[in-house]
Amino acid sequence: MSATIQPERVLRELAELWVTLGKESDPSHSSGVLRACTMTLITLVEESEDPSDVWSTMAALMPEHPSRAIVVRFRESASRDLSSRVFSQCWMPFGHRRQICCEQVEISASDASLPDLAPVVLPLAVADLPVIVWCRSPRLFRLPDFPQIDKIAHKLILDSSAFPDPAGILAQIRDGKKVVGDLAWTRLTHVRELISQIFETRDYLARLPGVNQVQVTYGGSVRPTSAYYLAAWILDCLEKAGAHPQLSWVAAAGEPAGRIFGIELAGSADGGLRVNISISGDRERQYAEVQIDSLPTHTAFPPDNDYMLLREELGIPARDAVYERTLARAAELAGEKR
Amino acid sequence: MPLENPFQDPLRFERRIPECAVAIFGANGDLTKRKLLPALYRLAYERRLAPGFAVVGISRTPMSDEQFRASMHDSVAKFLEDSPFDEEVWSAFAQGLYYMPGDIGDPASFTNLAAHLKQIEDCRHTAGNVLFYLSTQPSQYATAAKGIGAAGIAQGKGWRRIVIEKPFGHDLESARALSNELHEVFRESDIYRIDHYLGKETVQNILAFRFGNGIFEPLWDRRYVNSVQITAAESIGVEGRGGYYQEAGALRDMIQNHLLQIMATIAMEPSATFQPDAVRDERAKLLRTVRVMKPDEVLANTVAGQYGPARIGGADVVGFRQEKGVDPESQTDTYAAATFFVDNWRWAGVPFFIRSGKRLPKRVTEIAIQFDAAPHAMFGDNGDEATPNLLILRIQPEEGISLRFLSKRPGAGMKLRPVSMDFNYGSSFGERSPTAYETLLLDAMIGDATLYTRQDMVEASWGAVEPILDVWQNHKFDFPNYDAGTWGPKASDEMLARHGQTWRTP
Repeated sequence: MSATIQPERVLRELAELWVTLGKESDPSHSSGVLRACTMTLITLVEESEDPSDVWSTMAALMPEHPSRAIVVRFRESASRDLSSRVFSQCWMPFGHRRQICCEQVEISASDASLPDLAPVVLPLAVADLPVIVWCRSPRLFRLPDFPQIDKIAHKLILDSSAFPDPAGILAQIRDGKKVVGDLAWTRLTHVRELISQIFETRDYLARLPGVNQVQVTYGGSVRPTSAYYLAAWILDCLEKAGAHPQLSWVAAAGEPAGRIFGIELAGSADGGLRVNISISGDRERQYAEVQIDSLPTHTAFPPDNDYMLLREELGIPARDAVYERTLARAAELAGEKR
Repeated sequence: MPLENPFQDPLRFERRIPECAVAIFGANGDLTKRKLLPALYRLAYERRLAPGFAVVGISRTPMSDEQFRASMHDSVAKFLEDSPFDEEVWSAFAQGLYYMPGDIGDPASFTNLAAHLKQIEDCRHTAGNVLFYLSTQPSQYATAAKGIGAAGIAQGKGWRRIVIEKPFGHDLESARALSNELHEVFRESDIYRIDHYLGKETVQNILAFRFGNGIFEPLWDRRYVNSVQITAAESIGVEGRGGYYQEAGALRDMIQNHLLQIMATIAMEPSATFQPDAVRDERAKLLRTVRVMKPDEVLANTVAGQYGPARIGGADVVGFRQEKGVDPESQTDTYAAATFFVDNWRWAGVPFFIRSGKRLPKRVTEIAIQFDAAPHAMFGDNGDEATPNLLILRIQPEEGISLRFLSKRPGAGMKLRPVSMDFNYGSSFGERSPTAYETLLLDAMIGDATLYTRQDMVEASWGAVEPILDVWQNHKFDFPNYDAGTWGPKASDEMLARHGQTWRTP
């Protein structure tokens, strides 16, 4: 008989954890331990991934998105064993007397035990709060039983840039009708915000309908999902402003694959608007040089690591109309290439 | 031309500032160095500013653009709160910093400013939008506004707004006179009177707490609220500002503006929308319903205090009268407390106890709403049962909300004890909160005046405070009447005792 998990036992362990934490708190301060929770966050990872990477991302997220964090580590195995351990993560905000603690549950599972997982995880979700599933592995997303986990999620977070077939995954997300957060889209927020900010200036906004060319430069030889997203979003916005530009692509073959390196919007040669954005740096710190006509500016983007991306996505638990509209157009653009 | 920016994504993007220039008078002063430029730099760091955003600094000190940039570089690096200083971001931001020496009393300075602004409008595409920020002595506000008007720059191609810092007059008459002079040049809707308390996240959170939740508002009236206490305590003294403070005092410096605005936020009716004037209308209505004390009621319902010398933490602390620049016979209040009533249906009979002081035991600003006790003591008299429910809204330093209620003590018998359920703003949301100046500058540039004080609000609060000042001015107080490091004069405790209350110890 394979090992399994009793959700009631896990819940009992969680309750005991709080009692222990309460006893461990400094008796000289009546302030004790504060428990915080805004959601259940289920993270699906491959067993081969370093668990400390995942837990350090969780730790960074907890102060802003305190949640019951459940990390499920999958191994490729025919055994249907499931096991769990329960622990807490506490921190003392600077200058404060009270510890903040969050519950964490780690479950070890196998591909074969995926069908057994949903009945275990569902009772562990915190009542009345959203359940977010973050699937870090394309392989897990492709497992036949994945929909069983997916269906308990209010929102599914994945990273389409990790999938080998950009057109395929974009079409699959679009057709799934699920609330999805795609980290390939999230990575574009800063550059999209920068573009948007340019057109807060009335002079530039007035010249927007004259834009007739859009060029997107991406790294590597395969056009990534982020390039489709960005192009789709720009085209959509320009069409709303009455422009009907031509789209062109530039592959910067020597640059790291999957990233965006430049965007150009151009109007007709005489007096038309010309906006050129070049992005440099690495994922820890990116810089954007912006040239609008003859006015140069310079800005820095925060790092786009897992913590920053998740932080943004967890802040949007419901449907995102701009994303969904862009997704439909991006899937169309990618489909054309096919 | 498209009517709105099609690239906006409000779910993910922060609020953006339209293209504009900020003209700061008093650009070499402390406020500019410590607060304004760090806040503007931070907005640049957060990528909230338009690409051509510009600042024109004006003060009497002769300086070039480059020297101004160098001076501001050092100030921003030094005074930036909770965020890194990035040289690359600074160098892009600094390209938009300009300086012109000028004297507010000299009309030629405004003509020069007009030329500077035109040049900036052309080269940085600021669309003629200008925010004038008067970081100067209040006595110069009217002169500066008139100079702006005479130079023809109070109107232009884009919007023109003016920001002034408190005090807005030193009494009702001078407040009205100042407004009248400002109105000769600017419309009331273009005048932004800054009250940095209203820019604090937790003061804004009062609105979210009251009107975003359904469970508190039904309890928020005379039927369930027994009293409200608002405390703004500072542990420091006048810190070299004795000369200024001697003319102001705690009642003018804190209660007339910050604390009455907080009281208005706590007690106002919900507005139908979150539009700036809808919210400000409700605040103003509340301030107009604050009962004005008759002269013979003032001494029973207010307390003036002044700290004397003491020994705190092994060090001698001088009294107010021993501070530099202070008259040894000064009658200035370094502590003020008052009992206000609000004459409307919701709050009839509920006392609002407000106090503020310097050299109190700690720095804390908080609001405590005390609810009525349970109508029947079914658990008998066991000490703590008489403890009323308290809702505490902490503004600083640990922003948050606590609800105190009774719980059964573990074990046999039915003994109750008070417990506190806490929401801690900083730790529940680990994100850095913007400083009050970031919030307020951003709002002024966007044109959102929700958190700014309007003329009728200023006049209504002076209307409540002036009768107190009139009586105090003609009364000889036996100062000093509290030791530095204590919670104020005994008379303050007695004032509450007359209402069957005691001050909370925050």
